[in-house]
Amino acid sequence: MSQNQEIPENILCTKTHEYVIVEGNTATIGITQYAAEQLGEIVYVELSDIDTKIPKGDSFGTVESVKAASEVYMPISGKIIEVNERLTSEPELINEDSYNLGWLIKVEGEFPPEALEEMMSMDDYLAFIED
Amino acid sequence: METENCKKTALYEKHLKRKAKMVCFAGWNMPLQYDKITTEHITVREKAGIFDVSHMGEFTIKGKSALDFLQKLVPQDISKMKEGKAVYTQLCNPSGGIIDDLIIYRLQDENNTYNFLLIVNAANTAKDFDWIIANQDDTRNATVNDVTDKYSLIALQGPEAATILNSAGIEFGNHPKKFYLIETTLRDFKCIIARTGYTGEDGFEILIKNQYAPQIWDLLTEKGEPCGLTPIGLAARDTLRLEAALPLHGNDIDEDTTPIEAGLEWSVKLDKPHYIGKEVLQKQINEGTDKIFIGFKMLTPNIPRKGCELFQEGRIIGNTTSGSIAPYLNCSIGMGYIDKSASIKPGDRIEVLIRNKKYPAEIVKRPFYKSEKR
Repeated sequence: MSQNQEIPENILCTKTHEYVIVEGNTATIGITQYAAEQLGEIVYVELSDIDTKIPKGDSFGTVESVKAASEVYMPISGKIIEVNERLTSEPELINEDSYNLGWLIKVEGEFPPEALEEMMSMDDYLAFIED
Repeated sequence: METENCKKTALYEKHLKRKAKMVCFAGWNMPLQYDKITTEHITVREKAGIFDVSHMGEFTIKGKSALDFLQKLVPQDISKMKEGKAVYTQLCNPSGGIIDDLIIYRLQDENNTYNFLLIVNAANTAKDFDWIIANQDDTRNATVNDVTDKYSLIALQGPEAATILNSAGIEFGNHPKKFYLIETTLRDFKCIIARTGYTGEDGFEILIKNQYAPQIWDLLTEKGEPCGLTPIGLAARDTLRLEAALPLHGNDIDEDTTPIEAGLEWSVKLDKPHYIGKEVLQKQINEGTDKIFIGFKMLTPNIPRKGCELFQEGRIIGNTTSGSIAPYLNCSIGMGYIDKSASIKPGDRIEVLIRNKKYPAEIVKRPFYKSEKR
């Protein structure tokens, strides 16, 4: 169902299958290709509003497949500065290109190395889902 | 996920070959989907789909007292059934609660006596069998057998289903009518072809011995390909039945709901001898029920799921029992029970609580989708 997508550099993944790409004070957050495959065809996405501050570990939205709804959790604390509006009409972008066109939100915050410590590199993540 | 403790149908290898996503459902390894669920759904609405539903339970009830026995078990009037007829009905408990819903098929008499086939829900097969046996008075003149493990059930559903069956060797003139069956052969293999299904489309369900099932699957797949036939998994089966507003046991109906509450009054007959649950059903028909089964359409894209609370003018009036996107109708739909005091005319507004927010919906007539061809 999913193609081989381009995987951005500096991507970090969580055990709950979110990813984060940090660039200075902003970070792009989405769900991993594996998560999208497990959910199946995504048909609806509901995301928190712009300007909401959400602490690490809290839910920032819901990704729904035909069969079920799954919450998505903040891998880091931050304030939402952008949500991916294209997903309203094209939620399937998450299945097709989760790391690029299928991103969910962009947040602003302080992301010192300690905040990213628990996250895995893509190689470690791929090994983690193999287990 | 496929698991080792789950039974395999005779068509298991076919599903693996088509790279189906497999799940363990009701103790069986079943294909959840081969392609995108919405694609499969629309294929059945516009062309045709083939389903392995061999997990469904099949019982035979044969013998002189088989008719009287069934008359006692279900609210339908089985005495009206001629050979070759099928009816939708329920097994009810003494409170009228639905133990399971099922289709009863009257086959050609065997040794000059009754020969019935019952097809029940996979998840309820063992429970149903125990219930039937426990309620049998005359064991000498009726034999009940669970033949689930000997037979495969293949559903061929969609507007092209009849054409495909015709090219597979069953002439149009010999097709059974809706809710009838024929006992015939496909490729010289004995089978039962019933014009029944669970999709809201025209279609057939073919019961065949396990050893012949793979060849019949291949035959139908091959003959169906020019018409756009593809295999369809359990996930699309669920969205198809929901658009057609067909209840799912365990969701929309269960042992605490009666066929009257569930809007299935058309299948409950009072003009027949006593049967289990009759007093309660009779009372509900005469006096009405406290809860009423309804269908609704969301006015926003939010997707209702089983267990959402329903509101009207700020007051909680009920709960959803099924909900999903409706791939063919391009909206979200749901079904559920609401209190009799609520206003439930088609067009009336309700609100659905989804993750702590209320979203507007409108009561609509069931079924949500009706095939033009049926």
